[in-house]
Amino acid sequence: MTQTMTLLESIPEKLGTAEHWVEKGGVHWLSPCPLNVRELTAAMNDWKARFITITAYQLPGDQGFRLEYHWDLDGRLLGFPFLLAGNSIESIYDICEAADWIEREIHEEFALDFLGREYEPLLLRVGDKPGVNLREEAK
Amino acid sequence: MSYKIPMGPYHPALEEPYKLDLICEGETVRDAKLHIGFNFRGIERLAETRNYIQVIALMERVCGICSNIHTLTLCQAMEQLTGLTPPPRAQYIRVVMAELERLHSHVLWAGIAAKLMGFKTMFMTCFELREKVMDVLQAISGNRVNYSMNRIGGVNRNIDDPPGVLAMVEQLEREMVRTVIPIFTTSTTARSRCAGVGILTHEKALSCGVVGPVARASGVPQDLRRAAPYAAYAEMEFDVPVVQDGDVRARLLVRALEIMESCKILRQALTKLPPGELNAGEDKLVFAAGTATSRVEAPRGEVMYSVSWKEGSRNPSRVHVRTPTFAVMPAIRWMVIGARLADTPLIQASIDPCYSCTDR
Repeated sequence: MTQTMTLLESIPEKLGTAEHWVEKGGVHWLSPCPLNVRELTAAMNDWKARFITITAYQLPGDQGFRLEYHWDLDGRLLGFPFLLAGNSIESIYDICEAADWIEREIHEEFALDFLGREYEPLLLRVGDKPGVNLREEAK
Repeated sequence: MSYKIPMGPYHPALEEPYKLDLICEGETVRDAKLHIGFNFRGIERLAETRNYIQVIALMERVCGICSNIHTLTLCQAMEQLTGLTPPPRAQYIRVVMAELERLHSHVLWAGIAAKLMGFKTMFMTCFELREKVMDVLQAISGNRVNYSMNRIGGVNRNIDDPPGVLAMVEQLEREMVRTVIPIFTTSTTARSRCAGVGILTHEKALSCGVVGPVARASGVPQDLRRAAPYAAYAEMEFDVPVVQDGDVRARLLVRALEIMESCKILRQALTKLPPGELNAGEDKLVFAAGTATSRVEAPRGEVMYSVSWKEGSRNPSRVHVRTPTFAVMPAIRWMVIGARLADTPLIQASIDPCYSCTDR
């Protein structure tokens, strides 16, 4: 536990930010994340954190989207939010195999593109365009 | 020469609809592609249209087997937004329900695994035991499937007769020790059918991010009840069974041992059930704007809910559910590569998949 705490406490500095973890709603948040999503994933891989999921939110009006990336570090839930002004973000699938299906699902539900990967259809919306389910404009 | 064999979406070897395209050479599987979505119900979208009472009933329908776990995880997230803390008795009752549900899920799975092994007598025995677990759940909640036990800030119903429920649990434990456990841990049939089949290596288990008994059967000692205790788990003594082999037999062993650990937890929770209120007693709830996240160790592994609320709203603005099968299922591809075609139904069943949860 002590080792985990030490690693957890040292992560912001290792990521090159003066920000500290904020524990809120059951998550240790580091916001804004000083790295891009691929650099962050590579760092999480190095620390053997377990990827859990990505949660997507559509922000009001034309503010775009917020994607929250979650990892588990020895029972502690870490969260890193990324704001998207457009409709795309780099994929992490090639360096984090566990992200495959959730990237595909967000692509189908919100019509967001994860750049640098191909999609196999999940069949959630067979015959439909991506985004029909959760994207505001299509509801 | 390789050829493709489609299995599913509706197939006698599959419990629920999904599709596995198997690329074979002779009888050997060389690769596989998985397709899901046949049970898609748009529950996350529906959740945005339900108020904080209705959404609990809705999310209980995500899964037929671990329905209680879904409401528990959702309520824990909503408790963070409302600032309510369930009283100690409610926390213990949540543990009792969660462990009974684990027993129910594992015994049901054991029956289906036995059937796929060609061990039909065992299938009958497991399903008889499953009925008895459901009798206990019914004795507590009045329901056999959707128990409606959780509410924001506690539970809806008491356990009026803990010694009576304990007696039922001990009777169940005796029967499991006499039948299911020895057959799954020592029987030659189970060993010859499952050992060395559908291996998921430790490294692959880590890179795929698998959870629950599948992870623990590949030597990954992860269990949220121990790593991030919720409800009253911090006060329970139990072991987390971990097996290194990563094959179907290892998954069988882990679940068999977890049945025993669940009985151990149930005995403690029912014996030490503290007196007091069942819930925080608030009927008019005020939600803080923002997002809260909760995780629970379901029978199949980690469930995570992210719930988001807007100021003054009665409905959540977003509910995201990450279910265990969603995390585990992509690993089936690595389990079936190199396996015999005839073993693929057993291999896919060995992760105890829930497509209802996966598709939502």
